[in-house]
Amino acid sequence: MEHGLTWPTGTLLGMFSAFSGWVIGAALLLAVVSLVTAIRNRPMGVVILAGLVLVEVALVVQAAIALPRAGEVTEQATFVGYLLGTIVIPPAALWWGRAERTRWGPAVIAVGAFTAGVMTGRLLQIWNMA
Amino acid sequence: MRTGVNSGPGRLLVAVYGVFALAASARAGVQIATRFSEAPLAYALSAFAAVVYIVLTVALARGNARLALVACLIELAGVLVVGTLSVVDAQAFPHATVWSGYGSGYLFIPLVLPIVGLVWLFRTRGRGQV
Repeated sequence: MEHGLTWPTGTLLGMFSAFSGWVIGAALLLAVVSLVTAIRNRPMGVVILAGLVLVEVALVVQAAIALPRAGEVTEQATFVGYLLGTIVIPPAALWWGRAERTRWGPAVIAVGAFTAGVMTGRLLQIWNMA
Repeated sequence: MRTGVNSGPGRLLVAVYGVFALAASARAGVQIATRFSEAPLAYALSAFAAVVYIVLTVALARGNARLALVACLIELAGVLVVGTLSVVDAQAFPHATVWSGYGSGYLFIPLVLPIVGLVWLFRTRGRGQV
């Protein structure tokens, strides 16, 4: 992906890809931990809560890096929609899952984390197409 | 113990429907805003699917079993009709909707979801609702 302004664009492109790779990994890990917790029939604990906060912070950083450069991608509307969608999902999952003090609380978090991971994957695809 | 349609496994169901409401709305929004004229029928159906998912999410979350049941039946009919049409008459559906190919673009979750929803609604029927 060679642009006119080669090095800043290229560096940022690479930075975003690398960072998003870690975000996907973290989100999927959280999904697996939550799923295991649900299967073991435990309610949500402090580990899942901390993981959710960490993933949310990472998603906000990701949006802060990518939003100003949304003009460079081809599918702008989808890209911005996904960026905003990803930062809304963890708080929504926490709000909805926390009230449930059974295995179904972590199950909700698993769905939310998995969705955030998949959406970040789609973001990365759109970003790399630019 | 509270055993309405929106607690226990029902809480997970709401989370999954919430994700689909978000995904379908975003997809329909982008399609209609950017290229409605390319495939008006497919994109109108996308929007219809999005509305069905939103109604279901809200109805299930609020414990409105009757509305959820009606929406679930519409959803099942929608995915079967659109799925069949998209396979039989691919020309009419050159652009994907959530229900094309029975939801094959979404791991067939759109096909499984209304069935799970109906089973859940029938299982909780008659129990105390919130």
